[in-house]
Amino acid sequence: MAQPTSVIHDIGYQRYKGPRLGRWYANRSLYEQSLRTAFGIGRGAKAKIFPWMVIGIALSVAVIQIAVRSLTDQSFITYRGFAATIAFPVMLFLAIVAPELVSRDLRDRTLPLYFSRPLARTDYALAKYGALATVILLLLAVPQLLMYIGAVFTRTDGFSGAMKELGDMGPGLVGAFIRALVLAAIALLVASLTGRRAFAAAFIVGVFIITTPMVGILNVIGGEGSALASLSFAVNPMTLLIGLDQWLFGAERDQGGGMPLGDYGPFYGAATLVLLAGCLGLLLLRYRKVAA
Amino acid sequence: MNPTIARITLRGLLGRRRIWLLVPLPILLIGFAWAARAFGEPPAEWGEPVIVGLGFTAVLPVIALIVGTGVLGSEIDDGTITHILSKPLPRSEIVFTKLAVAVGVTGGFAGVPLFVVGLLADSTPLAFALVVGAFVGALAYSALFLAISVLTRRPVLLGLVYVVLWEGLLGNIMSGTAKLSIQQYVRTIVDWLAPTDILAGSVSVPVSFVMAGVFTVGMTALAVQKLRTFAVAGETG
Repeated sequence: MAQPTSVIHDIGYQRYKGPRLGRWYANRSLYEQSLRTAFGIGRGAKAKIFPWMVIGIALSVAVIQIAVRSLTDQSFITYRGFAATIAFPVMLFLAIVAPELVSRDLRDRTLPLYFSRPLARTDYALAKYGALATVILLLLAVPQLLMYIGAVFTRTDGFSGAMKELGDMGPGLVGAFIRALVLAAIALLVASLTGRRAFAAAFIVGVFIITTPMVGILNVIGGEGSALASLSFAVNPMTLLIGLDQWLFGAERDQGGGMPLGDYGPFYGAATLVLLAGCLGLLLLRYRKVAA
Repeated sequence: MNPTIARITLRGLLGRRRIWLLVPLPILLIGFAWAARAFGEPPAEWGEPVIVGLGFTAVLPVIALIVGTGVLGSEIDDGTITHILSKPLPRSEIVFTKLAVAVGVTGGFAGVPLFVVGLLADSTPLAFALVVGAFVGALAYSALFLAISVLTRRPVLLGLVYVVLWEGLLGNIMSGTAKLSIQQYVRTIVDWLAPTDILAGSVSVPVSFVMAGVFTVGMTALAVQKLRTFAVAGETG
């Protein structure tokens, strides 16, 4: 019998016996990382320019409102009108952030790395969606809170004034929350269709600026006061959401009755719900099918 | 002009079914004009929202943006630009060829539907004026977006900032920005070629022609200059 020429040493390989952090932790990490990505935190200056430019615009609108109100005692925008005022910058923000969150992973083929963790495909989509919605909510709500603080310090009627101001801000914050949910779903769905960030950004803005003039065209086709004209605002996500605000909280006092929705207010509620559910459903479907 | 580069660019832009990304926009434009006409509305009513609202503020800039940043930007993005840069070709020839392809594709995809819309509005002069306007716009926008795509690594976002914030938002608030808005030049030129009450530019005709020319020549020269000293870098940001 030949002498063994080599041996296998036990060099102490062992299995990992520590706690496994599991699916919930993976979800939380992905959510946190996505939030950081959205703001460009932990990345170079180049990644921060675009998101912070939009944040700067949103904050400066709030600051101007505070200044105008303290000097002239009049508001040039309301809490509710804030989201509509910065609709264009918000649109741009969606085009900046959404492709950053999902298109890069498609392009770099990093999805298999995520899916090899205790993270379901739907978890990935929902974590990204949650992050984008949070970011939009912050973008819309923080300036309103700033405006609120400014208003409270401007008012001279103390606590009751602060409460009244809070009542004014309520619908604005609810509107911001709904906008965050709906806009994030639309933008993420569009961005998840292509791995090229450039295309994704163009398509997201495209969805909004192509549908904006359609509202006007449908108004012309339907004629004043027709059902088609009353329903036309639902074509564009931004005007749809203003219509929803109007149905929920009534027309704004100083806007001459707002948009002529007729008796179709509930339609705007239903349409928003269908849009949200549809986009989320398609997003989950997309990630069930996407090649990992 | 270099036919080989033109062919490669065109294939990169429209090949592999990418052409279908651009087709929906012209169809929408024609569809809405046709629907408005079918409902019996006079062109004076629907002309403004369809031609200006949908055509010149949405379809033309969006197509120009996708095409204009795509002709050179996508090659820079995936690194294949080195293949062209390493050939013994003047950089100006590369830029001119790319620009010509961008103008042709943008002008075609925006001009043809606008021509049909003009015909649907019962005005042949307007139809031809709209085609001219579409090509003038395509030229200025393409030169701008081509230059941006050499200057930065995120050309689409910067182009969107121009289209959305400058032309879209500021154009409505501060009338002075109209002097630097390609969309206003296009509207003025079309209105000058075929006077209707549908379009009204807020800039004078000479300013429109001069500024559209300045945009085109200036941005093309900038693109050529920047491509001469182009540094091929890895993925950043």
